[in-house]
Amino acid sequence: MVILIILTSAIWYTQSGKGMAWTPSEITLLRSLWIANLPSLPTNTGNPVADNPLAAKLGHRLFFDTRLSANGKISCASCHQPSHHFTDGLKVAEGLGTGARNTMSIVGMAYSPWLFWDGRKDSLWAQALSPLENPLEHGSSRMQLVHLVAQDKIYREQYENLFGPMDSFSDSSRFPVAAGPVDNKSLNESWQSMSSDDQTAVTEVFTNIGKALAAYERMLLPTAARFDHYVEALVTGNQETREILSQDERAGLKLFTGKAQCINCHNGPLFTNHEFHNTAVLSSPGSLPSKGRINAVQSVLEDPFNCLGEFTDINPGECTELRFIRTGENLVGAHKTPSLRNIEDTAPYMHAGQLATLEEVIDHYNRAPAAMVGHNEARELSLGRKEKKQLEAFLHTLTGSITADPEWLTAPETP
Amino acid sequence: MASTNLIALTKSLKLMKTVLVALFLFSTLAWAEDHSVQPRAEKSRLTEKQHFEVWFTSHLDPIVINTMHAWTLHIQHRSGEPVTDAIVRIEGGMPEHDHGLPTRPRITQNLGNGEYLLEGMKFHMGGQWQVTLSIQQDKILDRVTFDLNL
Repeated sequence: MVILIILTSAIWYTQSGKGMAWTPSEITLLRSLWIANLPSLPTNTGNPVADNPLAAKLGHRLFFDTRLSANGKISCASCHQPSHHFTDGLKVAEGLGTGARNTMSIVGMAYSPWLFWDGRKDSLWAQALSPLENPLEHGSSRMQLVHLVAQDKIYREQYENLFGPMDSFSDSSRFPVAAGPVDNKSLNESWQSMSSDDQTAVTEVFTNIGKALAAYERMLLPTAARFDHYVEALVTGNQETREILSQDERAGLKLFTGKAQCINCHNGPLFTNHEFHNTAVLSSPGSLPSKGRINAVQSVLEDPFNCLGEFTDINPGECTELRFIRTGENLVGAHKTPSLRNIEDTAPYMHAGQLATLEEVIDHYNRAPAAMVGHNEARELSLGRKEKKQLEAFLHTLTGSITADPEWLTAPETP
Repeated sequence: MASTNLIALTKSLKLMKTVLVALFLFSTLAWAEDHSVQPRAEKSRLTEKQHFEVWFTSHLDPIVINTMHAWTLHIQHRSGEPVTDAIVRIEGGMPEHDHGLPTRPRITQNLGNGEYLLEGMKFHMGGQWQVTLSIQQDKILDRVTFDLNL
């Protein structure tokens, strides 16, 4: 009888969360997730204007400008909406056409060595260029974009203050209205008609547009969330921790770092290891399963805008991610671990928005189904109903705001 | 009488709760002691067939996750004579999760005197890692595995 009472009490005490205590090694884990431990931004970006305020100002204007599209209606902010933590709330991106991938948030992305769900770009500025020429997104061409920057008085002034004098690109016999090495016959033919020197001159301005956009995006960093206040209180003892996270949220945090194994991939102050994992997310209806990272490796190695390309001034020795890039079977069906900061604002989830809610995401990881391509790295978790709710409750404690002042989060006023 | 019994029962339950809390805290602290090791490597290991003695120095100390870094490998014969012309291949991963390293590290420089620069080391999860070095010198092929707890 006594044993029964002890056992029942022990189960009640543990399940209620009241008996929760953090071991020293658990506190070390919590500290590793604390935003106060976010290091300074990476400097080996190949972008000399990465931290130039004038570049951020130019990038800010470009980011919200719908003229950077074929139909004059799409800007970067069309999909990367500040009100949705720089995502769009859609399953997959809608630009000029319908894309294949869920829009990733830009917040904190400056820390990622790989961009896009499959990591086919290796810098923020190289990534920023890609949607501009994608026929399903902005559908523009580098020649059109360069004309815009060269002809718009404000852009020209901002550009030349940063990068020096710019050609007028007004000689129509050399510089067509629209041209680029893109998946569009007419634009591509126009591009091929240009001299190699002119192509390089246009591409240099184009890359600088990407570098200015990246300078703006580097300002978009997450602020502390309730979780961070909790860790701060825990390690400094300056506030009653129970006032910050509820019992269920604390229990969810314990599951996150323990039984649910989320921390394996969602680690560090941004809750991501920036790497690629196959977690057996089903393909979106009507689509073949995405091969993910395995198909992107060659793509990033061949990308003219990569770290070893001609449009960057970085010392090749510093391009360690690219030089030591890995390929292999493990990467079949693997996609990048997204940050979990502000996760409640970025539904739907997964690379094609396959899962609508956090509840569905947790259920997916709890079941760990077999992968359609490659193999699922994750294992079944055996979380109970209450535990799943607690884990979800914890994820809602990761909501903060963005470090940049509010004026950076809306379109700049036209002077 | 019934009320006295109830008070006694409540008191004993409170005492039991205190004891349980103490037991729980003690057990978790004891557990923590066992696992609160710093990242470290098993240094100076003999290869499987005992042809070579190998150790490494990490240029990132302590080794932390998600940070690219380099190691210097030291390879010598059991006699202590440095192996200056080895061909070294590196593989690694987490047996528990059935995946490899996130990068493909390789020797980028023979530093002489049995030392080799190994670049591209990176670990992207906390937990148990294994790094295996296959070392070839002339017709001798041997290997050694280092365990790391990050």
